[in-house]
Amino acid sequence: MPANSFPKTTTEKIANRQLLFMLFMMRTTVVIAFLPVLTSADAFQDAWAAAIMSFFGAALLVLVIAGLGVKFPELTAVEYAQKLIGKWPGKIISLILVWAFLVIAATDTRIYAEALLTGFLTETPLPFIVFMMVIAGSIAAYSGLEVIGRAADLLFPVFLAAIVLSLVFALPDALLLKRNLEPVLARGIGPVLRGSIIPIIIIAQYLALTMVIPAANQPGKALGTALWALTGSSVVLVLVSLVTTAIMGPDHGSRLVFPFFSMVRTLNISIFLERVEIFALFAWGFGIFIGVSVFMYCGSRAVAQVLGLHDYRPLIGPLAVIWGTFAEHSYQDMFQLRTFFQPKIAGPYALSWIVIPMGILWAAYGIRRLTGGKPDEK
Amino acid sequence: MKIQKRKNKKNSNPLTDNMDISQRYHEVEKMKLVPSLDQNLNTLQQVCGYSFDVKVRKFTIGLKAPAAIVYIDNMVNKSSVEEILRALAIDTRKIEDRKDNHKLLKSTIKDLITVNDVGETDNIGELFSKISIGNTALLVEGQVKAIICDTFGLQLRSVTEPDAETTIRGPREGFVESLFVNTSLIRRHIRVPHLWIEMVEIGSLSKTMVALAYIKGLADEKMLEELRSRIKRIDTDAVIESGFIEEFIEDQPFTLFPLVLRTERPDKVCSAILEGKAAVLTSGTPHALILPAELPMFLMAPDDYYEKMPMGTFIRMLRWFAALLSVFLPGFYVAVVNFHQELLPTALLLRVTATREGVPFPVVAEVLIMEILFEVLREAGIRLPAAIGPAISIVGALVLGDAAIRAGIVSPAVVIVVALTAISNFSTPAFSMAIALRIVRFIFTILAAVFGLFGMQFGILMLTVHLCSLRSFGIPYMAPMAPFILQDMKDSIIKTWSWDKQTRPKLLGKREPFIQRPGQKPHPGKDDRQ
Repeated sequence: MPANSFPKTTTEKIANRQLLFMLFMMRTTVVIAFLPVLTSADAFQDAWAAAIMSFFGAALLVLVIAGLGVKFPELTAVEYAQKLIGKWPGKIISLILVWAFLVIAATDTRIYAEALLTGFLTETPLPFIVFMMVIAGSIAAYSGLEVIGRAADLLFPVFLAAIVLSLVFALPDALLLKRNLEPVLARGIGPVLRGSIIPIIIIAQYLALTMVIPAANQPGKALGTALWALTGSSVVLVLVSLVTTAIMGPDHGSRLVFPFFSMVRTLNISIFLERVEIFALFAWGFGIFIGVSVFMYCGSRAVAQVLGLHDYRPLIGPLAVIWGTFAEHSYQDMFQLRTFFQPKIAGPYALSWIVIPMGILWAAYGIRRLTGGKPDEK
Repeated sequence: MKIQKRKNKKNSNPLTDNMDISQRYHEVEKMKLVPSLDQNLNTLQQVCGYSFDVKVRKFTIGLKAPAAIVYIDNMVNKSSVEEILRALAIDTRKIEDRKDNHKLLKSTIKDLITVNDVGETDNIGELFSKISIGNTALLVEGQVKAIICDTFGLQLRSVTEPDAETTIRGPREGFVESLFVNTSLIRRHIRVPHLWIEMVEIGSLSKTMVALAYIKGLADEKMLEELRSRIKRIDTDAVIESGFIEEFIEDQPFTLFPLVLRTERPDKVCSAILEGKAAVLTSGTPHALILPAELPMFLMAPDDYYEKMPMGTFIRMLRWFAALLSVFLPGFYVAVVNFHQELLPTALLLRVTATREGVPFPVVAEVLIMEILFEVLREAGIRLPAAIGPAISIVGALVLGDAAIRAGIVSPAVVIVVALTAISNFSTPAFSMAIALRIVRFIFTILAAVFGLFGMQFGILMLTVHLCSLRSFGIPYMAPMAPFILQDMKDSIIKTWSWDKQTRPKLLGKREPFIQRPGQKPHPGKDDRQ
């Protein structure tokens, strides 16, 4: 029974259900904001097929990311990297993960800020919004993973309800305009594959698993949890891309900045409720918050472990400053942010976060296995 | 006391006028009774000074043993004291008259006293703390131990329904200021020996009796251990009300939200104890503390359980809705009028704009003026004597509400918003939670004025993180919503049928998870079916 309300970092435990909610919200927020299946390539009316394709690619990468974590259920990536390839190489590899967490957190924050700036707070200076989210995320990360998990429990129903309600209210319009989805797969599989690249790459977010698996109640089932989260968010992505493409039209939709929010904007709920996209954006912000606080937690925890500190909390302040600065200065404006989410830019960049560290670690694991040594001992 | 002569004081008095309270306290704690009765009475007089309510009556047991009883006037039951006197001073004389052995007498003094709870003490400090709760001390010449007899007879307020926690259906009894009456009210509901009630004294000067009630074998031992250690850690002069104890034992002092539930209702305390919680009762106040307390508990009222399930669920959900409304409505109004006018239907927007015509303040100033005004009114309403209560409602409703609108200081829409918020706030059953929500409401109003709905979103996120990080005696404050516990959701925002709720709260009642046999859903008997 802890006398104070902040339990020690190492004893923090979250239920796999909470992990599922976190992963679901983390991915869903980003893939439905830009709707990259529609906007990043030339899939047009076949965006939904790209969404389905992205599930398989992403699932493959989840196996790569989370597989090792399940083999070392009590260790974070920083710890097992040092076990597998030695102390210093392990630490250097871990820095790639730290970088990934920082960039992803900053990009998520920037997406949130841009969504607000374009739609609602057009006069507000960007740093205010960015730092509001940075402060919220830092305080959550400071409170610990348990608190983030509980917050995910509370916010998940709101988040899901907002998406489901948006889709339900959009359904009549979508059925009316379903001709927008035709012809089906008329231009072959090429555009579909190109459209699925970015949603696959966004799975780099699940690198967070490498840090949180040891905190899960059942680390052995974490892989299943991650795949279920991916499945859930893929279903949402398919439905959202179907409805959005139908209502906005493939041509117009692919030129929009935030196609999903633009779609919600067109909805009328009975005759007196209009412009309800603010509620969708509101709930979506909850998802972004859960995402960024998890990345903040993972990033500071990873840095603390690389430096050999017992507590990650003192690092949150400095990291939050770097994170906020990143979010503000990495992208000049909305269009640069959108350019970043092009297959040929974000693709290789984010893929390297997964492939380089995980490739090396899997190779080391495999070699140790083949040479007869037990990889989890040393 | 008056029998004592002043000259004795100079000889043997260890207590002098220039001793401070702490010196005096330690000196008295050390004092022991001596065989000489006169000396004992003398010491007692020095300790108590000239307090007129400390009564000493000297008499003789039988024919030879001088004795005295000490008690505090109006705290004892006069007839009990008279009974002691009769038994010792008059009845023994008859025995003596019959030439019985007087050695026998001394050993049987205790047997002669017919009142309850006979104890002994040889310490002056303890003797006084015993008589100050209505006991009578019997001092006998030649004995170093005083006999304590229970002659409790203080006039008490009768057990009535508490004003702050009324129900339509349910028991009409509430706690009173006497600890003994309160524990008996609990015992009456839970009639097993496994209801344990421990007693501790807190406060070096007030010596407040604090009782800790729980069901042995049901309440978590680790939680009880933590609770005991937190209560024993309290080292203070005086505890006047349970609020002092609450502040000393809560997990996290820097929060607006109450982490301990206080109530005046025995039925509430009993149902909490039956869930595996513990109750702290304090002498001198009708407010008992229930802990651990989760947030949903503060929005539950006994009626929910006594009404049928659909009504219970409906009123409980209504209460949640009202609580949310009381926090978010002013902020939402400010945000919508300032930033997000598109959310309002055009006709309504035009109306709101028209009524704001000529109002000199920004919306947020309007709302804050009215909210603060209302808070002042509410506070004044509590402090006012009941006789002039109607006056404040006239001043509040007519003069301020109506005149403020006519004078163009605030718009009617703001008055509606403030009134709706206030009414919603009153539906929260626990006053400590209602007052917390009132303060949070101001934070949301200001955030909304600065950033619109996204300021409120920031506020909601901060509130979520804060609420999720709170714990009450190790139990997460937002349970069973966060962490989400499916089986406990049956009694949280909704309330299921009594026969359907088969388990205790998972985090607390894990020692005996089941409260009843499953499958007790009522159904018509075979013969009734047509």
